[in-house]
Amino acid sequence: MEQIITEFFAKSLHIILESRCPYVSSRNYSGEQVLSSLSPSSSSSSSSSFRPRDKWFNLALRDCPAALENIDFWRQSNLEPMIVDVILLQRPIDWDPLNFSPKTGFVSGKERHYYGSDNEEFGCEGKNERIIERWVLQYESKKNGGSTGSKKRSNCTSSHALYKKSILLLRSLYATVRLLPAYKLFRDLTSSAHIRMYNLAHRVSSFVEPFTRREEADMQRFVFTPVDTSCGRLCLSVLYRSSVVDMGSDPSTPISPQFIPEYVGSPMAEPLKRFPSGFVSQSSPSSSPFGRRHSWSYDLYRASPPSANPSPSPSPTYSDSHASLAKQRCRRLPPPSLPHHVPDETLVAYMKTPSYDEYWPSPVFSPSPSPSPPTYVPNSHISKALLRCESAPVSIPVTKLSSMPSLPNKQLMPPSPPLKATLLTAAENIAHCFMLQLLSFSKDRLHQISGARPSVNSSPSKSFSSRLSFQDDYDDGPFVVEDDEILDPSSRQTEIRLAGKVPTWSGLFELPGHPNEPGGTLFVKRSQDAAVGALVRMLNKAPPLHQDLQGSTLQTPTNSVKDTTEISEEPRVQQSSASNIVSSGLGLVTSKTTANALEELHGYRKMKDSLLKLK
Amino acid sequence: MNCEICQLKELDVEHFEIREVLRCILHTILFHRALGLVRPKDIDLELFEITYVQCGDVELERKTDEKIEQFIDRAEKHPNKKNQICLSFYEVKNKQPTWFTNKVERLYWEQWYINLNVAQHQKGHSGKSTSSKIVVDPGAEERTARRAALEASLRDVLFQIIRFVNEKKDHIPPVPNLEGVSFPYEITISSSSDSAFGMEMFKRMLQTGNPTMLS
Repeated sequence: MEQIITEFFAKSLHIILESRCPYVSSRNYSGEQVLSSLSPSSSSSSSSSFRPRDKWFNLALRDCPAALENIDFWRQSNLEPMIVDVILLQRPIDWDPLNFSPKTGFVSGKERHYYGSDNEEFGCEGKNERIIERWVLQYESKKNGGSTGSKKRSNCTSSHALYKKSILLLRSLYATVRLLPAYKLFRDLTSSAHIRMYNLAHRVSSFVEPFTRREEADMQRFVFTPVDTSCGRLCLSVLYRSSVVDMGSDPSTPISPQFIPEYVGSPMAEPLKRFPSGFVSQSSPSSSPFGRRHSWSYDLYRASPPSANPSPSPSPTYSDSHASLAKQRCRRLPPPSLPHHVPDETLVAYMKTPSYDEYWPSPVFSPSPSPSPPTYVPNSHISKALLRCESAPVSIPVTKLSSMPSLPNKQLMPPSPPLKATLLTAAENIAHCFMLQLLSFSKDRLHQISGARPSVNSSPSKSFSSRLSFQDDYDDGPFVVEDDEILDPSSRQTEIRLAGKVPTWSGLFELPGHPNEPGGTLFVKRSQDAAVGALVRMLNKAPPLHQDLQGSTLQTPTNSVKDTTEISEEPRVQQSSASNIVSSGLGLVTSKTTANALEELHGYRKMKDSLLKLK
Repeated sequence: MNCEICQLKELDVEHFEIREVLRCILHTILFHRALGLVRPKDIDLELFEITYVQCGDVELERKTDEKIEQFIDRAEKHPNKKNQICLSFYEVKNKQPTWFTNKVERLYWEQWYINLNVAQHQKGHSGKSTSSKIVVDPGAEERTARRAALEASLRDVLFQIIRFVNEKKDHIPPVPNLEGVSFPYEITISSSSDSAFGMEMFKRMLQTGNPTMLS
């Protein structure tokens, strides 16, 4: 009989915890269901799968390690009351399921309770605990001394009857645990994969603090009919909260925590991180050699707002940044201080190297946006020219790069455009500097022009023919200066002087009947538009046509320049007109190809004809 | 041997709810009377948030479903009537064959009466299309309330069964069969057309004040 009672305790605990411990039940549920479904008749095949403890009270249950762990105390036949508390754990509101980590003690406790394997070491840090059920099972032994008629009758109760009644009681218990409100919480925890904001825990003890009156007022009691035995009676009752469902119905997170090992971030959040996609397969952090690059670009991107002044204005794209840096160089003749947060030496090295090797025999000009100021030619007289030269090509890339298709989302930034721009810039710079060198060389000879024209004509013509040929090779204007420099009188004088060296060139663009025009100015134009503008200005200032130049000017159209070779011949034929042209001071050198020059020639011819007609 | 009779609380069910309600009640009772070795099977009701237990006997399941179908057919044929299912447990007593009778006597020791009041189909379904929207909205709320009430009543019925099983244990005869349902049983269907049944229902109506009568 004692064994029946002991086993009764064990079985009742098993029944209770089986329906209140989420992990255990979910683990074994499927197995049990399979067994039951496979058996056509529950008697034949299922009997083989019954374990010895299943046969107690004819009730085969699923495994419940929690019950097995906790029943040892009561198996020692102490027959102490067994109190099972079912506790609802509610997580705090700010609990983040994504930060679910098994390392912290809090979470480890949570894991255990989620799996329902531990009850004694339950941690209640930051959780809201509420006892939602309290099962009390106790065996009230009867004293042998006091005896009544009913007790005498109960003494005669056989163990068989006790067993039968115990079976019935346990059946009722089994049905009851599924009808109580806490069962719904249990099913919610076990059925769905959602992370719930609550959990169920249990605590088995033999002595607990009774509920307060207020607590008990919120609970309902259900008492099972005690089973009388010869020596006492088994009593089972439960105190439960009927409003448990409202507590547990919290919004759940429909995802399970997963760690993303290589989370980089969305492209929208950090667009420039995908910048080196062409270089590295994974756009991850600083390990890549171009990490600095896009970090630099990113920094530039960040610092873009304060860019109203001509200080180094960062721009989102590399090319633009390059252009902007170049711009600022253009504006400030002394090389500007580049953003100091650009330690992009690797990039500089990358960008520098090919251009350096291929195009730049001497480290005169550095095309790359290195933070260090570009090294200039020690020649002072060329330094200014070089500055001009430097600024000149720089502005071109601005226009060039501005015409480049805007990179969408600032994500795709293949290295070729900036490299191209840089190389082009380098080439241009080289060409321009060569021309300037020639120019400066010819400058020195300006003083000799008046004295020896033929000599001037010959040599500079050759030089300028070479320059012209040079110019033909490059589409862009060889000499580009600022507009303000054109109006600079000092430079103008040099321009006037220079104009003398270019009789042929100015002859190309000579306006007939304009002997008193200001000295053939050989100046460098930034663009065709600027050149035309300058021409218009000159025309406006030009004195009326004179007949003196008729004879000389008539010669000019006859010697139309069609190619560089013809140009070289020009100076001999138009030597006389050259002087007039020098005095007139009209010369126009534009950055055009020969075809363009020819077109202009035709245009001017027409103008000449019209003017002659007017006259 | 006395026969314990348990009249379960009457439930107002709709036609489509009969099957689930009856299955729930019958299997709960039978689970308590299958005292042999069983592996309980939890079944979740679809219409209600109730989980009941089956004893896992396939034969039992088949038989009960059969009877439930009969009940449903009868309820359809006899609308507006109180329908009752009676689950009886009996003992087989072999009477000495006399020259009168040679049949096996059944001694009922327990009877469960399940009373269902099958509600009629709502007239709103055949209403006009123009007013259908207006009709459906309050109808849906009414159905929801009715469903909740039925669930509560069903839960009460199940607790009633559990209490009865707990309280009455002495009348149970010794277990003849350890497999499946230990005791022979039978399920009978009766309707209010029966005189005795009608009297019973009339008495109950007077006592409880059936809302269907008041409507």
